[in-house]
Amino acid sequence: MLKEPIKLNMNEVAYPPSKEIIETARKSLMDLNRYSDPEDLERLLGLLADYSGVPKRHIVQSPGSDLLLREIIHTYSKGRKIVIVSPSFFPTVQAAKQFATKLISIRLSPPDFDLNPDLLLDQLNEPCLLIIDNPNNPTGKILLDREIIASIFDHKEALIVVDEAYYEFSGITFADMVQEHPNLAITRTMDKAFSLAGARIGYMIVGEAFFDAFSSFYMFLPRPSLYAAIQALKNPDYMRRNVSRVIAERERVWNALNDNLAVQVYRSMANFLLLKTDVSDIVGKLADIGILISDLSNQLSSGFIRVSIGNREDNDAFIAGYMKICETYSQEKF
Amino acid sequence: MKRKIGLIVNPVAGMGGSVGLKGTDGDMYNRAIKLGARPVTPKRTRDVLSHIRNKDRITLFVAPGKMGERHVEGADMPYAVIGKVGGDSVADDTKRISEEMVNSGIELLVFVGGDGTARDIYDAINSKIPVVAVPGGVKVFSSVFSVSARAAAEMIEAFVESTDLIEEEVLDIDENAFREGRLASRLYGYLLVPNVKKLLQGAKEASGISGSSVEWKKEIATYTVEEMDKRVLYLLGPGTTLKAIADGLRVQKTLLGIDAIFEGKSVGRDLNEKGILALFGKYKKRKIILTPIGGNGFILGRGSKQFTPEVIKQVDRDNIMVVATRDKINRLDCLRVDTGDLDLDRLLSGYMEVTVGYKEKMMVKVRC
Repeated sequence: MLKEPIKLNMNEVAYPPSKEIIETARKSLMDLNRYSDPEDLERLLGLLADYSGVPKRHIVQSPGSDLLLREIIHTYSKGRKIVIVSPSFFPTVQAAKQFATKLISIRLSPPDFDLNPDLLLDQLNEPCLLIIDNPNNPTGKILLDREIIASIFDHKEALIVVDEAYYEFSGITFADMVQEHPNLAITRTMDKAFSLAGARIGYMIVGEAFFDAFSSFYMFLPRPSLYAAIQALKNPDYMRRNVSRVIAERERVWNALNDNLAVQVYRSMANFLLLKTDVSDIVGKLADIGILISDLSNQLSSGFIRVSIGNREDNDAFIAGYMKICETYSQEKF
Repeated sequence: MKRKIGLIVNPVAGMGGSVGLKGTDGDMYNRAIKLGARPVTPKRTRDVLSHIRNKDRITLFVAPGKMGERHVEGADMPYAVIGKVGGDSVADDTKRISEEMVNSGIELLVFVGGDGTARDIYDAINSKIPVVAVPGGVKVFSSVFSVSARAAAEMIEAFVESTDLIEEEVLDIDENAFREGRLASRLYGYLLVPNVKKLLQGAKEASGISGSSVEWKKEIATYTVEEMDKRVLYLLGPGTTLKAIADGLRVQKTLLGIDAIFEGKSVGRDLNEKGILALFGKYKKRKIILTPIGGNGFILGRGSKQFTPEVIKQVDRDNIMVVATRDKINRLDCLRVDTGDLDLDRLLSGYMEVTVGYKEKMMVKVRC
């Protein structure tokens, strides 16, 4: 058993924030008796707007994008059908189940996990709130393209929320469509690509239809988080370099696992991989050797697991651990 | 007061797996021995017993020799031996001894084996007493099984400390098809188990979503009953979710059979094709309500053969309703149909709406 477990279960980025970010956050601790300065909150809003390529009035910031998703569902569930996909980001499913007066989940099925556009559009002929994570968590699959989004816009009674938590890894965004399409909102986070999971900075890029509900949604952010986020956005190249490293590692891990017959590994556009394994209780067996991965047995059929992409050392430990468990398993089995 | 708990071990279950055979039914056992297979269930049995913490509250009633007695020696639990081994087959011994155990007054039967053993136990005791099913076989697809030896021990402890009971599926797996790499199974029956859902095979609860499988079924039932049209004849397929709907209507339901309901009242029980078609003469508007079999997702063609192609054609695809708890659906890759009529199967393929909660539906792919 290793002393510190290797955490590949939360889709965090293994690379720490830059020294400048850590130093800025550390300095802010000296004033922890003070609330964040409204001017600095406004400054973050401006940086997020620049980063997203929209005017500031389209940005809503919050401690964590899951809070924003929950708020959207809470606000718009009355009198609207909620349409989500399954599996999906779990807090979205949870909030939808809690607040929806009518809930439709569209099941993504293996082996391709595709979203059938006709099926989706059929659901939009009445007032509804559609929430789709793109790339999808846990499949890593891109579910929406511009053509589908354009068809959704034809349904005027539909509010569309695209969760782009993993946008930096996929490079696919609809943020540029928000100004033209008032019914569109995009949720994003700095938890993942920016290596700021512990800071919990989420934001939303919203179309005009969401302005009323969110104009008063002015969330104070904790000082260390606020200044870390500002510093991170001042130099996004640090994040971009880390994203490139994660993507290169993702492909390396995919190739290493794809050669192993005991596992089916799916292509991903995020910082994690979806796997289907024959080895029983693989999550427990990996945990026994100090490697934490995500068990999907409550979301998908038996054998599906999700593994986050860590740094090279973590990924090597996972590959070696997995292979060793597979070897023992085949010896036990045959 | 000590609880009386029976224990039956299938000594040959699981041996095929170690030598690459899928099951030890019939001749496969001899082939497994020739290929050098070693018994699997003795260790599994000892594992279960070693994990039980409230041993002082249990008296064991065990089958003789390698079917139980041999594996409880050293378990630090008082036991009595019931029955004799020596029938034509392990299946015969299992059935006979489990009946004798029930007659001896056991309150819970623990068995170690696979789907075949579960069927034998079901044949013998049905729902007279609850069971704890310990996975020891090659084929362990029935939801009645616990997830592990440790989980089985926890279920026994829960029973001893007193717990309510739920019905879980016993499946009949076509072993020849299984050897060919196909999973062809039908619903065989239900056994009662202690209600510790998270410890059951493939039945992990969706974390963070509150409630239990019983509550989810009630939710589905409440919504389905609210939506029922009084002018429509409803045919309820087999399964506990359908039974929950019948319970919601306060009508009796055959668990494995097909029952008919009109205006909230039972108008036919345990119907066969002829019985169903006779009702169609009287009722022009019809709907079928089905739930998938756990593990493989069949809604038609397994365990509900009474819904023949002729019956289904007279109901129409749009009038087929599917209900299932979210955790059950989440564990399926898709829904499946195999009516025996390929054209009809193709027509039934595509997406179907499945009611998974109160005003909560999931669009799920149907394959044939």
